Amino acid sequence: MTEGQAKNREDGMHIPDGFLEPGVAAATTVLAAGAVGYGLRRTGATLDERTAPLLGVTGAFVFAAQMLNFPVAGGTSGHVLGAALAVALLGPWAASVVLAVVLTLQAFVFADGGVAALGANVLNMGVIGGLGAGLILAAGRRFLPRTRSMLLGAVAVAAWAAVMLSALACAIELGVSGTVPLGTVLPAMLGVHVLIGVGEAVITVAALSAVLASRPDLVHGWHGTPPVAPVSRPIVEG
Amino acid sequence: MSGLGPHDLALASVAGDPGSPIHRRDPRSKLLALVAVTLVAVSTPATAWPVYAGCAAVLAGVAVAARVTPATIWHRARVVLPLVLFAAAFIPFVREGHVVGSVGPFDVTAEGLETFAGVAAKTAIGTVSAVLIGATTSFPDVLRALERLRAPRLFVLIAMLTYRYAFVVAGEVRRMRTAMRARAYRPRHALQAGPVGHAASALFLRAHARGERIYLAMAARGFTGTMPQAVPLRLGAADVLFLAAAAVPP
Repeated sequence: MTEGQAKNREDGMHIPDGFLEPGVAAATTVLAAGAVGYGLRRTGATLDERTAPLLGVTGAFVFAAQMLNFPVAGGTSGHVLGAALAVALLGPWAASVVLAVVLTLQAFVFADGGVAALGANVLNMGVIGGLGAGLILAAGRRFLPRTRSMLLGAVAVAAWAAVMLSALACAIELGVSGTVPLGTVLPAMLGVHVLIGVGEAVITVAALSAVLASRPDLVHGWHGTPPVAPVSRPIVEG
Repeated sequence: MSGLGPHDLALASVAGDPGSPIHRRDPRSKLLALVAVTLVAVSTPATAWPVYAGCAAVLAGVAVAARVTPATIWHRARVVLPLVLFAAAFIPFVREGHVVGSVGPFDVTAEGLETFAGVAAKTAIGTVSAVLIGATTSFPDVLRALERLRAPRLFVLIAMLTYRYAFVVAGEVRRMRTAMRARAYRPRHALQAGPVGHAASALFLRAHARGERIYLAMAARGFTGTMPQAVPLRLGAADVLFLAAAAVPP
């Protein structure tokens, strides 16, 4: 394994097959399927026929953005998970759908994350990470003044929390399955992800402030509007 | 900052002999058979070694028939190594039980080793079977199979478009990283990750504009909300036989 290939996988959060008790795998699959199914209904109801191409390309964006890695500590690196960024741009339900699509692709094409553990991975990174970030952003919109810096502050907290919540859910599932004792896996997972979460927050804030500067209409809920379908003229060539 | 890591393009395509009897099976039978092997492996007790051997035999048979080489399987399967090593680092030491040895101040227990061996076997079987799905079935075929198995249509459509553009956007990421490196961007800690965020936002805006162009192009070609299928799926007797042969022995 080359250094670079090892480096790209320091998030340690895609659970492979065999790490979860069948009961835990089944329960998480049911929860994830329910949440993504509801997300699909919400998404299909609130967006028009342009939804599929937009969300499809956003999925490709999240997949590719996960290649962007950053140093964490001691020579290891984490990479962008993109949950909070997807939520800030698409809203929580559409973001959960997109993240579920990306995780499905990673499981079937790259064997990254087990097929039997796909439900758990979707639940951790897509549903819990996405909806957690969505709740924080919604609370920020409700209780904070509607300024740019307040939005970015809420996004920073949401990005960090999304990473921590996903790591927490992952640790609990591994602990409940009896693979690794909870008392060991919980501090280990959370400890590693405190720093990954900081990187995620810095990147998400930088990304969102740049989108706010050039296309504020694309930021979900910024003007109290639903996710905007793309306009007909390409803004950025690419 | 380096190549595509585990999500390398070269690892994404179908491998082995595309004309093999396995590759030619209906994607539904391949998907169900290999997922069944995984489910059997992960749901047996940790010490059920005959079951693991049965699963491994089925996987080996499929790999040989599909002419997927061990080197291909190793290249694609090693993505799970970090978590397996993580588990290996903890499980043998932290389980209570009969002490069989020690590494430094930590005791290794027999129960811990047993659990680790079971987890490793399950992970190996699950991962190799996912690798074999990926090596014998293109992702669009996996999605068509899922659609026929009643996965939600909107989900399948989004996933098809994601797969279609994932590598296009990934190519943009690679060019951006090269550009950032060329401008001497060498972050030393997480707080210097800001420029990565700016790259991500440029990437998103480009992806968004691309999504718009794709929608217009699809609308111009009469897109009505479903993907047309050039070759319809057919589940024949051979497919059912394969499914039974693969899923029953373990």
